[in-house]
Amino acid sequence: MRAAAWALGGVAALGWPLVAPRYFVFLATLVAVNAVVAIGLNLLSGYTNQLSFGHAGFLAIGAYTAAILTLRAPALPVPLTLLAAGLVTALVGLALGIPCLRLDGLYLAMATLAFGFVVTEAITNLDWLTRGNDGLRVPLARLGPWVLDTDRARYYLALAVAAAMILAALNVAATRTGRAFLAIRASEIAAQASGINAAAYKTVAFVLSAFYTGVAGGLFAFVVGFLSPDAFDVFLSVDFLVMIILGGLGSVWGSVAGAAIVTVLNDSLAGFQAYRPLIFGAIMIACMLFAPGGLAAMTRRQS
Amino acid sequence: MSGPALVHVVVSGLATGCIYALVALSLVIVYNATRTVNFAQGEMLMVSAFVAWSAQHTAGLPLLAAVACGVAAGGLLAFLVERAIIRRAVSATHWDVLIITLGLSLALRAAAGIVWTNEELPFPALFSNRPVAIGPVRVAPVSLGVIGASLVLMLALVALFRATRFGRAMRAVAQNQTAARLMGISVERVYSGAWVLAAVVGGVAGVLIAPVTFLSTKMGLIAINGFTAAVLGGFGSLPGAVAGGMLLGVIENLAPLYLPTGIRYSVPFLVMIAILVARPRGLFGSLERRKV
Repeated sequence: MRAAAWALGGVAALGWPLVAPRYFVFLATLVAVNAVVAIGLNLLSGYTNQLSFGHAGFLAIGAYTAAILTLRAPALPVPLTLLAAGLVTALVGLALGIPCLRLDGLYLAMATLAFGFVVTEAITNLDWLTRGNDGLRVPLARLGPWVLDTDRARYYLALAVAAAMILAALNVAATRTGRAFLAIRASEIAAQASGINAAAYKTVAFVLSAFYTGVAGGLFAFVVGFLSPDAFDVFLSVDFLVMIILGGLGSVWGSVAGAAIVTVLNDSLAGFQAYRPLIFGAIMIACMLFAPGGLAAMTRRQS
Repeated sequence: MSGPALVHVVVSGLATGCIYALVALSLVIVYNATRTVNFAQGEMLMVSAFVAWSAQHTAGLPLLAAVACGVAAGGLLAFLVERAIIRRAVSATHWDVLIITLGLSLALRAAAGIVWTNEELPFPALFSNRPVAIGPVRVAPVSLGVIGASLVLMLALVALFRATRFGRAMRAVAQNQTAARLMGISVERVYSGAWVLAAVVGGVAGVLIAPVTFLSTKMGLIAINGFTAAVLGGFGSLPGAVAGGMLLGVIENLAPLYLPTGIRYSVPFLVMIAILVARPRGLFGSLERRKV
């Protein structure tokens, strides 16, 4: 049954660009990118119980790193570019995470909120590097002799990266670090009493979360093709939060489902911009009041 | 920079600071009672300002009555929200309430855009903007008016917290909820009262800032400055919130004189990160030890 579901899902994901119109291929690519961010955010929020309002900032750092790197070194194969985007973002996450370790939930949330604003302001002002408000055109991604110049090619790139990162997140419990995360999620105090350095692992979670988001940022740059600082405002960070709240805190598949729903909803509400935040706000309130574990908890209860 | 000009900048900084202080106070009032932050505080003060605008513009009330209407509407909104939504979630973890208020802030902002407008509206000035000379110093009456109105409200709050039964109940709940309950205080009524009081204080801040920044659905973002102010003063401390607000207002007004224009808009955020990293308990706060 499980194997069948995996096979079916795999075939559907691989076959999608062959049957769907071009625009829906693009939309599916965005779902994959957002799913990676949502998983990254969920590593932080789901396991260590910390909220971040600054993940749009991490996404921006990843996106601009990938774009600038590709501009300076056009021949660099795209996996290396994405890796670099992830690593640079992870480094920023480390720099932010170490001092923020002293902060408990609410203060961390506010510090990350401020971080997000500072990142967009920095991008606007470092115009020699980022071209500021004029925006930055991202060159096409290259993989050796191939140029990823179609929606279909970019879809498969995003799909491959997302699949790898979903697998890694699903198997996090196979590692010592992952088991430490699970222990911290169950009870931070009990974990500490069992000799787990909660502070250190929280930093690891923060850095890992930043890495995921940075890689997604790199993908985002290639998928969208044009970057400007106003695309990474605080409302994007809130969108990511809606994804994991709707999908379920701590659930990898919940993150994917949440990312898919929010991305598609965002797209279908494009003509009703005024009502979009109203609907998203209502979703957040309703989830907290009626379905605290999100979609993941709902399916778990039924099975 | 000459002395009198510097005074002018500092005074207008103090006026902005008073507004931040009021917003910080409203955040801290809710936090002290319920141990959670209302992320929709900024949007609630936005609603107050919009209602005041409508009361004057559409219903034709005199300005002061319109302002009172706006503030009262904010209080009513807070009462309804607390009763209908927040109270259902209070028993859960504080994340739940935080996320609910975040959702509420999105929804309120969008609703205001639909009911009123997403454009910026001019808000009638309560005080004149034309500087007057006091000796060698030139100050704008609007600065003095805002400072005066804020100080009156702050004194009223001091009186409320010290001299009334309800104020003492609020302080008791802030100190120890269980003990307060055992003493016969209705903690639920304190929650409700805290939300209304916070909305009223925030609403006053809203109608004071609206003439300066224009009335818009974005004005709720002032809550971020309010939060920074509250953190500066040690989150949870009412006098700290006032001091933090004034300090932030002055820093923000002085910073452009000494810093490159580029980082001007980042000042409140940089101050917030710096203070959270260096002194998470605020400038005047002491370390709070929590028992396991």
